[in-house]
Amino acid sequence: MEYFLNQLINGLCQGSIYALMAIGYSVVVGVVGMVTFTHGEVIMIGAFASFYVFNALGNNLLLGVVASFAASWIIGMIIYKVCYEHFFSAPRHISLICTIGISILIKNLAQIVFGPNQMPMLNVVKNNVYKLGPVQISTVQILVIVIVVVLAGILSLVFNKTKWGIALRAVSQDKTAAYMMGINVKRTAMIGNCIGCGLGGVAGMLLSIYYQTLSATMGGSYGMKAFSSSVLGGLTDIRFSAIGGLCIGLIENLGITISSASFRDVFAFGFLILVLIIRPQGFASKKGARP
Amino acid sequence: MRDFITKSKALYQKHKIWFNIAILVILVVLPLFIRQSYLMGVLCRILLYATLAGSLNAINGYSGQTCIGHAGFFCIGAYCEAILATRLGLSFWLALPIAGIVTAIFGGIIALPTLKMKGIYLSIVTLGFSEIVRLVALNWEGLTGGPMGIKGIPVPKVFGMQFSGSHTYYYIFLAIAVLFIFVTGRVIRSRVGRAWISIREDQLAAKSLGVQTSHYKSMNFMYGAFWAGIAGAAYAPYVRFIDSTMFTLDEGFNILSMVIIGGQGTLVGPVAGSVIVNLLTELLRPVGQWRMVAYGLLIIVMMWWRPQGLVGASDSILSGNTGKKRLSRKAKKGVSA
Repeated sequence: MEYFLNQLINGLCQGSIYALMAIGYSVVVGVVGMVTFTHGEVIMIGAFASFYVFNALGNNLLLGVVASFAASWIIGMIIYKVCYEHFFSAPRHISLICTIGISILIKNLAQIVFGPNQMPMLNVVKNNVYKLGPVQISTVQILVIVIVVVLAGILSLVFNKTKWGIALRAVSQDKTAAYMMGINVKRTAMIGNCIGCGLGGVAGMLLSIYYQTLSATMGGSYGMKAFSSSVLGGLTDIRFSAIGGLCIGLIENLGITISSASFRDVFAFGFLILVLIIRPQGFASKKGARP
Repeated sequence: MRDFITKSKALYQKHKIWFNIAILVILVVLPLFIRQSYLMGVLCRILLYATLAGSLNAINGYSGQTCIGHAGFFCIGAYCEAILATRLGLSFWLALPIAGIVTAIFGGIIALPTLKMKGIYLSIVTLGFSEIVRLVALNWEGLTGGPMGIKGIPVPKVFGMQFSGSHTYYYIFLAIAVLFIFVTGRVIRSRVGRAWISIREDQLAAKSLGVQTSHYKSMNFMYGAFWAGIAGAAYAPYVRFIDSTMFTLDEGFNILSMVIIGGQGTLVGPVAGSVIVNLLTELLRPVGQWRMVAYGLLIIVMMWWRPQGLVGASDSILSGNTGKKRLSRKAKKGVSA
């Protein structure tokens, strides 16, 4: 029972990181209107940016968040220019394959620049373990959950209260109508893509702090997790994507309580396929407006 | 230049049978003139990947469903043959079709969700499927040997002749590739192939004209999976040792990049893609990691300038023509004529 409860806590923590990735992903998909395969690489870039900042400027967590957000923002701009801007009116699979191409490109450039080996992440926060009855929870886990909740709160404020946010939502609902209302659709789509990528970068930083390791090839499986979480939530719906991320994290960690840890991804993807067979639109209730 | 291409195409169409026989004869006698086993190895890879990319092209290029986890089918075929040959001692010639059929059944299972969803949802299912297959192969030690893989897969024999080494094994790959291209060519010209192409161009229109789209889509998936399984089953005794690291997602992307670079929606496309990518792999071997960077660049460049691939079907939806554009072009032609 104790083991089970602790796995529940682990799952919640991991799920909240997945939720952050999935939020970023669904912002990208919602605003740009096209699916991306580069999210894993964006996550990796964010992790490395924070790693170098921690190395150079000491353990300042806020600085790390800003650095990973900024680095991923720049990568997001490049991705937007290469993969999306020219293909708004083309069939979807073209930009999809383009993102696969740029993902191969970034991954291998990163292996050349950062080296192919796994690197240990610095101890950014002092890790204490608190005991609440049978449950253990560590400082890193609390920190991760707090950062994710804060970022999600800021995002929802930006989306609902600011002019930018309204423009972003308008573009994600209907590009032609937004264009007619005098919104610069291409620019707004780029900003949306960059915000999504930035959130992915912060998630990368959290992942590398949580697991104490980072490598140039870490992106692949996390990108898949982000993708599947946001598919679970119906791809474009931000709140449901977050729930999808939490679900995937919980399912993984509860799944490995009944079998070995090496089956972690099998549970995640198996759950995803099961949900897609039963309810293809994901958790979201509306059927329309999905790419 | 364009004139030359159309003329040579016409010449090819006129003497099609003779050209095909000539190409076949050249391919059959080629090993007699090549001494180095390294070159033969490259040729074997080209033929193997021509079949694999072709089977992916049957799914992506002909019915317009984006499958990106093709390595999963490859993996199932290879493991199926290896297990049948080492555990049950089945002969290669029996294990080959069984592996193909088993893979096709898996393809059918994967196609079940496709009846409900399309586009990106289908892609994510295939991707997840590919990862699940690899992880199961990595972790089910009782059946697949786990991380140790399966060693000592027996080589195929016929009339006391052993197919070991790339010089003789070349003929097995050649036979499979030729059989694949022949059968696919026939299928594409049949009612089934026309149904696939109509689904690719416009699913709604196809449905309204009485094409049972879900039926044909699942059939399409099973067909592609079948040939991927056959290719995997032929690959296992060639390398004689398989483990799960050979069938990662990158392998799937590798096959996909061949289809994209060579061309979707034509029979020649995947073959050309296989030749280009494999030659590029060998030529760029000295530069190591930069090779993959070049891949990525090549895919992006291809998508920007020729989305249907080098020799892809240029009159289809694959080349980025949406219905409106095609209509307007035809209308313009009519005016000028």
